[in-house]
Amino acid sequence: MTIPILTTVRHWYCPNCGLTDTTKEARPHIRMHTCPKLRGLSAPMLPAGVAAKVTAHEREDYVNGEDVQVDENRRPVMSIVTTRDEGQDVVVFAPTAHARST
Amino acid sequence: MAWTNSKIFSATMEDVLENTTAIDLNADTINVALFDNTVTPSQTVASANTAYGAGVWAAGGVGDTPSWPAVGRPLVTPGVTFSSNVVTFDAPDTVSADATTDLASVFGCLVYDDTIVTPVADQGVCFNYFGGSNSVVNGRMGRGL
Repeated sequence: MTIPILTTVRHWYCPNCGLTDTTKEARPHIRMHTCPKLRGLSAPMLPAGVAAKVTAHEREDYVNGEDVQVDENRRPVMSIVTTRDEGQDVVVFAPTAHARST
Repeated sequence: MAWTNSKIFSATMEDVLENTTAIDLNADTINVALFDNTVTPSQTVASANTAYGAGVWAAGGVGDTPSWPAVGRPLVTPGVTFSSNVVTFDAPDTVSADATTDLASVFGCLVYDDTIVTPVADQGVCFNYFGGSNSVVNGRMGRGL
């Protein structure tokens, strides 16, 4: 008797650069890619068929010596927001925490 | 005062090096709890006040159960590496449990050990300031640490 092994295949696309990809991960996940149209940042891809825009948001506070994510123009980036008709996703670039006191 | 920086708790590092606590960053459950801008974290607080639910971390939590509960989401396969004279604690990006998450005014997070019970339960490892307000509406929260 043959038992089929079912695998979840998810199709992704980037609304900015047009890249497409597939993943077979069963757990919750977001497909990321380095987007040439989003200042070289690691940006989320969207499930195929979902209309949305993906935008980068600069840090709202002083860098203050923090080890932050910067874009190709060395501007500090806080997050990438995906705006859909029915909601909003966000990917936050958390600065690296350091042990030194200054 | 409010969030200004991202730091590793000095007291926790001392506790680990002196074997006061048995924190194992590779094997323990390490949670990431989200907070609003009402907290003023400090790197130099005593061990007890680094813990989730203690000190400044007793209020200001942001959560949406079960998507990203106030007690936090666990890091998946965290690890410690050593390269070029730098010891780094890292993990794959953490994502909310579903795509219907609602979170408002998230300014930073507390990373703490959810496994160790004594001498300090839920002892904090570090805190990270995101640099501004972040919100999720009927969506998914992702975070790179």
